[in-house]
Amino acid sequence: MNRRLRQVLVPLTLAVVASTPLLAQANADVEKLTADPKNWAMQAGDMYNQRYSKLKQVTDKNVNKLQVAWMFSTGVLRGHEGSPLVVGDMMYIHSPFPNKVFAMDLNTNKIVWKYEPRQDPAVIPQMCCDTVNRGVAYGENKVILQQADSTLVALDAKTGKVVWSVKNGDPKLGAVNTNAPHIFKDKVITGISGGEWGVRGFIAAYNLNDGSLAWKGYSVGPDEEMLIDPQKTTTWMDGKVQPVGADSSLKTWKEDQWKIGGGTTWGWYSYDKALNLMYYGSGNPSTWNPAQRPGDNKWSMSIWARDVDTGKVKWVYQMTPYDEWDFDGINEMILADLNVKGKPTKALVHFDRNGFGYTLDRTNGALLVAEKYDPTVNWATKVDMKTGRPQVVSKYSTAQNGPDVNTKGVCPAALGTKDQQPAAYAPDTKLFYVPTNHVCMDYEPFAVEYTAGQPYVGATLSMYPAPGSHGGMGNFIAWDASAGKIVWSKAEKFSVWSGALATAGNLVFYGTLEGYLKAVRKSDGKELWKFKTPSGIIGNVFTYEHKGKQYVGVYSGIGGWAGIGMAAGLDKDTDGLGAVGGYRELNQYTDLGGSLTVFAIPGGN
Amino acid sequence: MHRVILAVLAVSATVTLAVADDTPAPVKTDLYTVVDGYKVDANTMKGFRTWRAAACDRCHGANQQGLVGPSLINSLKVLTKDEFKTTVTDGRLERGMVSFKESKTVMGNLDNLYAYLKGRSDGAIIRAKVEELKQ
Repeated sequence: MNRRLRQVLVPLTLAVVASTPLLAQANADVEKLTADPKNWAMQAGDMYNQRYSKLKQVTDKNVNKLQVAWMFSTGVLRGHEGSPLVVGDMMYIHSPFPNKVFAMDLNTNKIVWKYEPRQDPAVIPQMCCDTVNRGVAYGENKVILQQADSTLVALDAKTGKVVWSVKNGDPKLGAVNTNAPHIFKDKVITGISGGEWGVRGFIAAYNLNDGSLAWKGYSVGPDEEMLIDPQKTTTWMDGKVQPVGADSSLKTWKEDQWKIGGGTTWGWYSYDKALNLMYYGSGNPSTWNPAQRPGDNKWSMSIWARDVDTGKVKWVYQMTPYDEWDFDGINEMILADLNVKGKPTKALVHFDRNGFGYTLDRTNGALLVAEKYDPTVNWATKVDMKTGRPQVVSKYSTAQNGPDVNTKGVCPAALGTKDQQPAAYAPDTKLFYVPTNHVCMDYEPFAVEYTAGQPYVGATLSMYPAPGSHGGMGNFIAWDASAGKIVWSKAEKFSVWSGALATAGNLVFYGTLEGYLKAVRKSDGKELWKFKTPSGIIGNVFTYEHKGKQYVGVYSGIGGWAGIGMAAGLDKDTDGLGAVGGYRELNQYTDLGGSLTVFAIPGGN
Repeated sequence: MHRVILAVLAVSATVTLAVADDTPAPVKTDLYTVVDGYKVDANTMKGFRTWRAAACDRCHGANQQGLVGPSLINSLKVLTKDEFKTTVTDGRLERGMVSFKESKTVMGNLDNLYAYLKGRSDGAIIRAKVEELKQ
């Protein structure tokens, strides 16, 4: 090509690129960044929540050479969930309350800027059981932080200066935040926590540009406040997709209980650009005492598909009508194109707290597969595929047994066969890699009165390792979502409370509560490598490439619901075995302390 | 002063008894009455109901053994009654303890809550879930 022609072509190409965002309207920046596997530009690595990396310098053949490259202390003791983001030469590291953000230059490991908001300490007790934060979002030169006190703030990615700041909830009423914000198109999507304070859940979209509210859709209540159209919004009923009809939520609640009815939204959200739909789950209805809220309590415990531009609900599916166990439905929705029962399907796969792994058609919410992903799940025999409802076993029904009766031996426990710790999906094996809990419980509901800004729970729980099993409290499994079957399962001593990472190097990584980062082979779960980090791991594993080398990193820092026993002086068994149950042994392995450990194979690759 | 010392002595004595026998002897103090280790007077029962209603177990554990919050079995051996009341009323926000100032249930039952938790800490009440003593 002669030089003159090149000079003409370059400006032309630039012009086309510059105009593309306006035409496509997708978030070209985030899309472009996540398409490059050298970055880890979203909490799940991509908008599908797959937690899969194409990087393959580290493989099942050389992972045994993986060593610590560098470490970083956040200076915070509590539970460290989520992961840093990597965009180009910069890493954005966050911490639990007080919600620090560090911007680190990966060339020098120097902190370029640090942001630490001032927050009213009154928010700390409202975040019981731990002051976790699941990380920041990045888009268009902004780092978005969702603070504990519900303030959503956009920071200039270069300087850390506040660009805009909005209030997302009222922390005085228990409306606080732990979730990571997500950037889809030109919106910042965030949710709310506080189901145990009678908070009415919602999902909200703020304009990335200036922080103004674009839309807000509640989980429960009148149709217009949920952004549900009774004729156009559909659900799975009688074996087919049908309109939900008028007052689909209101008529499933006793009187005004929905106003303090929960359905909070603190999980990981996903987005399908082609369908322009975002997906997420809503949490438990309030209170935990089912006797106070007869009815299906729609749309708590549901999978939602909303139009990102308007918030309008395309479809919704309730997994656990009339919850009696705190099977909070917030876990991530993973989008994958699968062959389900011989048919190519745009699928949504979800591992619910209730112990069922769901596969739905994400275009319309049709229920395709719902099977137990832990064989000890006993509260329901199965999900009726026609009605979509779980078939509840009376013996384990805390509603049928009634208030002030201790219902014993319910599997899984309230923290679910899986909690928020996100699973990974590998497009090359078509399998899902799922960190799970193997824990059962006794559950005794009792009557509670609502007082604004006070805890509103209404059940006493005690949890212990699944009886009659391997004695451990966790499994790491590979799951076939087309068939609804476990492909392999690896027993763990404690719940696996760390988000998994699958890579093109035939590896899956996850952390354990003792503090090990482990690498297992994708095909059969064989453990190939492990390293003991300074504290228990409840963070999510991530990977990136810098200066031609692949790095794998994870936060350690025990805490969260699984690690709550750590702070206590538990030196002897008390009567009845407490809620800490089998987690007590954790203090033989680890103590509090937040840090980031980053690994690489030394030398040239 | 004398009364305080006597009460303490009485409690210490009953703890010894409770450990020595399978069925604990009845315990009666200025604070609480306990029979069989779990049947309690009406006020202590209200204290237990307050404990549950305020969801104290979420941080302090279903058996008061401590979780993210400290063990109340231990703490009530150290805190005076006044310190206990101040802590519950104002909270210890930095450490994650809720202020229950706005909760009528808790504020109206501070003495009862103290009686129940002190009974647990003393070892006179041998399990977290109690029942009301039929007079």
